Amino acid sequence: MTEGVETGRMGRVAYARIAPNEDLVVGVEKLCLERGFRHAFVRGALGSLVDAVLARADGGHQQIAGPAVEIVSLAGEVRTDATGAIAARLTGVVADPEGRVHGGPFVAGANPVCMTFEVTLEEWLPD
Amino acid sequence: MPIHPAAHPRPRTLVHPGRAAPVRIHSMESPHARHLRLMLEPGRSLHAALVEPLARRGIAAASTTILGGGFAQLFYCVAPPDPQGRAVIAYSDPIDAGAATMIFGNATIGRGLTGAVLVHCHAVLRTGAGAMAGGHILPERSIVGPAPIPVLVTVIEDFEIRQTHDPETNIALFQPRRRGDD
Repeated sequence: MTEGVETGRMGRVAYARIAPNEDLVVGVEKLCLERGFRHAFVRGALGSLVDAVLARADGGHQQIAGPAVEIVSLAGEVRTDATGAIAARLTGVVADPEGRVHGGPFVAGANPVCMTFEVTLEEWLPD
Repeated sequence: MPIHPAAHPRPRTLVHPGRAAPVRIHSMESPHARHLRLMLEPGRSLHAALVEPLARRGIAAASTTILGGGFAQLFYCVAPPDPQGRAVIAYSDPIDAGAATMIFGNATIGRGLTGAVLVHCHAVLRTGAGAMAGGHILPERSIVGPAPIPVLVTVIEDFEIRQTHDPETNIALFQPRRRGDD
């Protein structure tokens, strides 16, 4: 990787449904483990959370109470580091039960799925 | 003393009406994705503008990103607790956002319980009155505005996305399925 640019190509594509009470971020990591994706980009995602917890810039968090909190925008990637540890970094916009919107990075372990979470991942194969 | 101080609240575990299935992630994969750029046709419903051009190419399963644009009419729902108690939540009555801008949306295209093609779309939007909002979009009632809206389509080719009844949540929802499976 030079000057922040990593070249590569897209590999496999996976679609998953993640069931209730599973964590959004950890669920995406487990999906990659199941599929053997070391790196991946989120291509599409929608669903609902019981409550949402988004990270704030000051190191704190913002909790959005549900149920259900709808995921209305989500972007992110999954990376495997040199030690073999895998981490999904997901950021997005959610709508609370009154339709008000809130945005930020999803805190791993704090965003349980309410009814369903649908996600499409594309495997990223760096050169 | 806790080993890790609580950086965030412990997540709530909701109890659904049915028994929890042991498998929590249902997934399928294809060796490669095919991509299309689709322009949503002005004046059509979001459902027709997404489904019909794809159906003409034999596509009934896809994950799409709606890149934003104007709608002549946009309806959405939010998901408060189900007053009837049949499921943990139920969609609210449709909310009329008026002539609204869809800022970003994702829509999954798959087959419904009857075999007809269904669109499941969530989006963030700016209402005609200028307020930010978001939720579950009603694709049949939402009408594309005067300018075509670009959509990136990731086509699913080797399996189906099919709505099936989920005993745990007691609702019908999209799941990946092998072609020909019940």
